[in-house]
Amino acid sequence: MRIHRKRGWELPESAATPEPVALKRRSLMLAAGAGAMISLEAQAQWLFGRRESGDPWQRNPADIPDLPPAMRNTRYQPGRAITGEREPVTYNNFYEFGSNKDIWPTALRMPTRPWTVKVDGMVEQPGEFDVDDLMKRIGLEERVYRLRCVEAWAMTVPWTGFQLSKLLEIVKPLGSAKYVRFETAQRPDSMVGLRQSWYPWPHIEGCTIEEAANELTFMVMGIYGKPLPPQNGGPLRVAFPWKYGFKSGKSLARITLTDQRPKSFWETLQGSEYGFWANVNPEVPHPRWSQASERLIGSGERVPTQLFNGYGEFVASLYTNLQNERLWA
Amino acid sequence: MMVVGVMLLALACGIAIWFGPWAPLGGVIFQLYPAFLNTLQAGVQRRIAPELWDLVFLPALTAPAWLIPFILGDLLLVIGILRRRRRRHG
Repeated sequence: MRIHRKRGWELPESAATPEPVALKRRSLMLAAGAGAMISLEAQAQWLFGRRESGDPWQRNPADIPDLPPAMRNTRYQPGRAITGEREPVTYNNFYEFGSNKDIWPTALRMPTRPWTVKVDGMVEQPGEFDVDDLMKRIGLEERVYRLRCVEAWAMTVPWTGFQLSKLLEIVKPLGSAKYVRFETAQRPDSMVGLRQSWYPWPHIEGCTIEEAANELTFMVMGIYGKPLPPQNGGPLRVAFPWKYGFKSGKSLARITLTDQRPKSFWETLQGSEYGFWANVNPEVPHPRWSQASERLIGSGERVPTQLFNGYGEFVASLYTNLQNERLWA
Repeated sequence: MMVVGVMLLALACGIAIWFGPWAPLGGVIFQLYPAFLNTLQAGVQRRIAPELWDLVFLPALTAPAWLIPFILGDLLLVIGILRRRRRRHG
């Protein structure tokens, strides 16, 4: 007797799917596949896409008032065209918000009013100042400064603010004060970078009292005539135009005069690359790249870097007796 | 495989004892190589995607440092035991 044992793949003809149904199913699967692809793309966009649409100047005028008109100080000539308005507010280094350049949408979530800055340490009259009161008390001017980043790019920016020396006149430094320590605010609600608890927060920067008193050292509250947005260090930051940009502390909450040299955030992380002085010098390369030239943000043009970022006439004398220091890193 | 698993478990214990049970992985790496995480973060956020850091790296780095060697060690031990049993019965 012949025994027919069915193999696993054998099916009766009746079990076969009719051709029109199979064709319809194929088109359905194609549609589902296309849908999944679109959905994947959307997910990828959501996961990894850049969300650069929006207004990098966004602010609530009820909270953050317009800046009063400020006269441009023509003593400081940049010698190159001012960078377009959008680039400086959308291309930023601010590690509390991330280490990529487009941190501005995240930074804009940080409320910048009310905002006070504490000035303490070796001063006769310490105090905590509301930034808007400070602006009214000291008065504002506009200065167009070149900004040179240690990463070999540069911008030319009209800052609005006041000379740091004017704030020092108010608090009256003691003779024993040798350094100024700048402390960035810690706002864990909006500063997502603070979740990396192992970094030495708060972000600290510092300079000597002579550097702080130099006429170039500028406390910035505005850019392009508008209130300084958080991604640029608003509402109050310092600017040292002859130093690499990382020295210019942002969103300051505290300024302390001290006799101890502050150890900065970057010095703690990578002291060999980012030191205390960090004066711009085209002849001293960064350990990983040349500093001989810089790329201008906006035009993309590459131009030669200048010693002290071109501000030698104002600051070179500060360093004549400091030749044993690492002045250029 | 089981030897590596046991070594990883020992490493997890060592980390928990040396750095404390709640020390995050990022904190341990930062203590050992202060510049490493910053370079890694800049590389990931600037060259790949900022969200990759936030969604993948950050949760791993903020977890207790012993957790990853502990999980890997356990996994290798279980796989090793299962393989040995299969060999005995096969």
